Amino acid sequence: MFSQASLTRLRYKYLPDHLIGEVLSKRWVDNAIPFLVLLIVIAVLGPLLPNFFTLSSLSDLGRQMAEFGLIVLALAIVLLSGGIDLSVGSMFAMAVLGSLLGMNVWELPVLIVLAGVLAMGALYGLLNGVLIGYLRLRAFLTTLVTLIILRSVYVIVFLHYSTALVTGFADSALWDFIGFGTVYGFPLSLLVSGLIAIVWHIVLSRMRPGWRLTAVGGARRSAYNAGINVRRTVCLAYVWSGILCSVAGFLYAARLGSAGADTGIGMEVSALTAVVLGGNSLGGGRGSVAKAILGALLVLIITNSLISFGVPGSITSTVLGIFLIAAVFLDMRWVRNKEQLLSKSYVSPTYLNLPPPPKTTDPASPYRLNDKLRTVEVIGLGEIEGPEDVILDRHDNLYCGTRHGDIVKFFAPDYQTNEVLAHIGGHPLGMAFDKNDNLLVCIGGMGLYQVTPDGISTKVTDETNRRWTSVVDDSRLRLADDLDIAPDGRIFFSEATVRYEQEEWATDALESRGNGRIICYDPRDGSTRTVLPNLVFANGITTMRDGCSILYAESWTCSISRYYFAGPKKGRTEPVLTNLPGYPDNINRASDGNYWAALLGMRTPALDLAMTMPDFRRRMAKRVAPDFWLYPNINTGCVIKFDENGNILESLWDLGGQNHPMITSMREHKGWLYLGGVSNNRIGRYRIEGADPNWTGPASYWGDAK
Amino acid sequence: MRAFLQRSYERFRGIDPPERIVPAMDGPLHPNAMLDEAPVLLEQEGIDNLCVAPAGVFASAASELLSLMPEGEGFRAQPLETFARPITCIASDGAGALAIGQDGEGILIRGGAHDGMALTGTGATRFACPTGCVFVDPHTLIVAIGSDEHVAAEWKRDLMKQCHSGSVWRIDLGKGAEAAVPLAKGLAFPSGLALGRQGELFVSEAWEHRVVGLSASEPSAPVELLIELPAYPGFVAPTSDGAFWLALFAPRNPLVEFVILERRYCERMIDTVDPQFWIAPALSSGKSFLEPIQGGARKKLNVLKPWSPSWSYGLALQCNAQFRPVASVHSRADGNVHGVTSLAEKDGRLMIGACGSGRVVAVPVNAQIGIGVEL
Repeated sequence: MFSQASLTRLRYKYLPDHLIGEVLSKRWVDNAIPFLVLLIVIAVLGPLLPNFFTLSSLSDLGRQMAEFGLIVLALAIVLLSGGIDLSVGSMFAMAVLGSLLGMNVWELPVLIVLAGVLAMGALYGLLNGVLIGYLRLRAFLTTLVTLIILRSVYVIVFLHYSTALVTGFADSALWDFIGFGTVYGFPLSLLVSGLIAIVWHIVLSRMRPGWRLTAVGGARRSAYNAGINVRRTVCLAYVWSGILCSVAGFLYAARLGSAGADTGIGMEVSALTAVVLGGNSLGGGRGSVAKAILGALLVLIITNSLISFGVPGSITSTVLGIFLIAAVFLDMRWVRNKEQLLSKSYVSPTYLNLPPPPKTTDPASPYRLNDKLRTVEVIGLGEIEGPEDVILDRHDNLYCGTRHGDIVKFFAPDYQTNEVLAHIGGHPLGMAFDKNDNLLVCIGGMGLYQVTPDGISTKVTDETNRRWTSVVDDSRLRLADDLDIAPDGRIFFSEATVRYEQEEWATDALESRGNGRIICYDPRDGSTRTVLPNLVFANGITTMRDGCSILYAESWTCSISRYYFAGPKKGRTEPVLTNLPGYPDNINRASDGNYWAALLGMRTPALDLAMTMPDFRRRMAKRVAPDFWLYPNINTGCVIKFDENGNILESLWDLGGQNHPMITSMREHKGWLYLGGVSNNRIGRYRIEGADPNWTGPASYWGDAK
Repeated sequence: MRAFLQRSYERFRGIDPPERIVPAMDGPLHPNAMLDEAPVLLEQEGIDNLCVAPAGVFASAASELLSLMPEGEGFRAQPLETFARPITCIASDGAGALAIGQDGEGILIRGGAHDGMALTGTGATRFACPTGCVFVDPHTLIVAIGSDEHVAAEWKRDLMKQCHSGSVWRIDLGKGAEAAVPLAKGLAFPSGLALGRQGELFVSEAWEHRVVGLSASEPSAPVELLIELPAYPGFVAPTSDGAFWLALFAPRNPLVEFVILERRYCERMIDTVDPQFWIAPALSSGKSFLEPIQGGARKKLNVLKPWSPSWSYGLALQCNAQFRPVASVHSRADGNVHGVTSLAEKDGRLMIGACGSGRVVAVPVNAQIGIGVEL
C-alpha cells in the first residue's frame, strides 16, 4: 500500500531521532542507566517478594532509605570533591550511640541531644577535613584510620554503657514522633532527609559552594588557578559528611531505640556501592544528589530483598561487591565513550525529496549559464574576511561584517579606504538600516545587535521564548542569520538552525530538518517571540513592498515563501519559489520592483539523491570523517532576480567561481549590485544594465532623507 | 554464519573492512606538486596511451591514433588514423608492429608479420574491454581484459559495482585469439601490464589497489607485490634500467569506499545519476557545479586547499625492479595534471600523459625524488 519512499518519509517525519543526540548532550543523561537498572530491579523483585508493594513494607523502606540515603549523600559529597570517606559507618555508629546515651541514659532534651550529636559529627568531619584538606594526607588512609579509631571508641563506650542503654527509657513524645511519626502518610524521617536532599541538590547544581566543590573534584589544579580555596573546600566536604552521618545516626536511634555491637559495620562498603551504582564518579567532579538517591534505593532494595529471600549476610556482601565492580566498570566505559557516542549520534538527517532541479543548460531557461559576474569589480580584496552581507547607507558608504567580529565601513565614492565601525565579537551576518539610520545586525552565536552611525553597538535581543517540547535549550539564539524591518518598526529575523553553531552551519544541510525559525522582535514592548518555527535553514528575509508581508528563504528545501504578518491574510504563509537549482540565501529589493536572491551553492544530483536516503547520510556522518562528507556545492553560486509571483527574470553567474565562489548576499544601490560571500575575502560590484541610477535601499524603505 | 555475524557487528559499530580503508599518502607517496611544476610537452584533450616505438612516439585521443612529432622542447600531435572505436591501449613489439585496443571490439594488429589481425575473443570471453597489452615477442601478445561486464569507458560502473571479471590472456598470434591461454581470471579490473627482466608479468589490479605478479607463460595464482595503494593503479611502464613507473589514474576517497559499501545508495546512484556526477573517482573534476563536493573541498577565502579531498588527482609512482615504491610525483586537488593514464620513457625523460587534464609533462626518469627535493 505504501511505497518505500513514503514509508521512509513517514518514519522520519514522526520518529524524532534527532532527540537521541540532544538527550545525550544533557547532563542528566548520566542518571538514565542507574534509573533504568532501578526500574528493572523493581520490576523483577516486586512480583517475587510477596510484601514488596504493601504500605508497611514501603514505609519501612522509606525510613531505612532516610538514614541510608543521608549516608550515601555524605559519601557522594566527599567523592564529588575528589576524596573518599571510609569513616561514614563509624561516624554513624557514634551518632547512634551518642543519641541513645543522651536520651536513654542522661535523659537530655531531644533538641540538645540533636545539637550535641551534630556537633560531634562536625568535629569528626573536621578532624578528617583538617588532616586531608590542610595537611594533605591521603584521604583513603586517613579515613581508614578514623574508621578504626571511632569504631574502637564506639566499642569501648558501648560496652561500658550497654546495660544502661537497655534499661534506660526515653520519655519524649518528640523522640517517638521522630522515630515513628508520619506526616500525610510519609515517615517524618524520610521527609527530613528529602528536605536535606533538595537543599543539597540546589547547593550542588545551582549555587557557588556546590560548583566550587565540583570544580575542586574535577580538576584540583584548575580550581586552584581559578582562585578557589581548594583546602577549605575539601575540608568542608568532610565536615558536611560528618554532619550528615550524624543526622542519619540520630534518625536511626530514634527509630530503633537501641544499638548493637555491629551497628554501622560494613556500612561504608554499601554506601560506596550505592554512590558508584548511582553514577557518581570515583575520580571526583561528577555526581549529583539524584545519582546518590538512585544508588541508595538500588542498594537498599537489593539488600532487603536478599534478606527476605533468606540469603546469608556474607553472600549479600558478595552480591554488593559484584555490583560495585560492575558499576565501576560501566562508569569507566561510559565516561570514556559518552563524548564519542554523542559526536557520532548528534547529526540526525531526515527525509527530503526535491523534484529534479531546473536545467541550467537549456538556452530558454532563465537560469541559463553566463559569466556576467566574472568581471565584477572587487572591493577590499584581502582586507576583509567573510562579508556575509553588505549594505549601503544614504551617503553611499558600504558596510560589511567580517569573521573577526567587526563591522567594516568602506567610504564612498571609490571604496578604497575603510575603517572598523564597530567591533562586536561575533561574525556579523544579515544587516538592515532602520529609519533612524541605525544599523541592525544579526550576529552568529550572539543575537540581534544595533550599531549607531557613530559606531556604538548595543544588544537588541539574544533570547526568545523556549518551546516546551525542546530538549536542548532553544531560547538562546545560536545562529541569527538575516533580518529586515517592517514599516511599524518590528524586526523579523531568521535563525538558521538551533542545533549547530556558526562554523558548522553547512552540517545542518546534512540534516535538512526544520531546525530554523523566524523570530520577531517588537521594539514597542521589547518582546521577542518565535513566529514561524520548524523552518529548514531559515535564511534571507526581506520586507515586501505591501508593508504587511515578508519573503523568507529556506535554504535546504530550495524554496522562498511569503509570510503575512499583518493585513487581511495575517498569519498565512504562501510559497513563492520552489525547486530552485541552488540553495537560496539573502533576499533583497531590486530597483525595478522585483527582488534579488543569492544562491549560496548549487544542488548536485548525488546530494539530492542522498537527501531521500536519511539512513545513508546518518551512517556517513558516523563512519566518514567530516572533511569527506558530502556537502552542498557551495563553491559555485549565482544571483537571481524574481518577481513577487515567483517568476525568475534573470540570473547572474560566475562559473568556476573565480571572483565569487560563493555568494550569500547582494544589495542594489544606485545602479550597482554589491555582492558578499560568507567565506570570501572580497566584496564584488556589478553594474546592472538599465537599472535606476538613483534608487537606494534606505530610500525605498524609509523615504528620502529628512 | 560467523562471518555474517562479524559483518553485522562491524556494520553496527561502523568498523570499516580492511580493504575499504584508504591509506595515507606517506613515505614514498608523500605529496608534492612536481607534476604541476614539470615542463608541459603537449596539450591535447584526452591524450592517452603514450607508446615509444622505433617509428616514433605514438599516442591516442579518443578514437584517433596520433604520432607525436618533436617540436621545440615538446611535441606536436599529428593525427594518423581514426579508428571505429576509442583506443584503449597501444603496445609496440619493438619492431614494426603495433597492437591497438579497441573499446568494445578487441585488439587490432597494425604492421609486422600479423598486420590486420583482429583479436576479438576466445570461447565465451569477448575482448570487449582491452585495457592493456604487451608483446612478449613479435608473435606473442599478452592482453589484459578489464572486465567481462563493461567496456573500458564504463570503468566507473565497473568500480562502483565492484566487478571482479577481469582476465589476462596470452595469445600466440600465429594461432589466433581462439587459442589464447588464460593466465589469470577473476581479477578486479587489470589495467596495466609489464614484463620483468626474468620474463615475469606484472599486472596492476585497479579495484584491488595492488600490483600482482603472474607467470607470463602459464596460468598461475597472483602474487601480491605492491598492496594498499591510496589510488587506483593503471599503466605500468618499465624503464631502460629494469625498474618501473606506475601510473595511478584516480585517487581513492573514504566517501567512495563508503558508497561502495552502501549498496542501496550506490545502485540508485548508478541507475539515476549521470556518471560524471557520481560520488566516484574521475580522471578530471571541478568542471561542473553538478559534481558532488566534500566538506574539505569547500573554498575558504577563494582558495581551494591542495590537500582537499578530490575526485581526481595526478600521481605516478617510481618503483624499483622488485616493485618496491621509491618516490612519486603528484598533482594535488588544486593542480592541473590530473588523471595520469600512460607513461613512456624517452631520452632519459619520463613522459607522463595526464588524460584527465589533457597534457603531457616530463620528469627525469631516474630522478632521486625525495621529500623536499626539487627536480
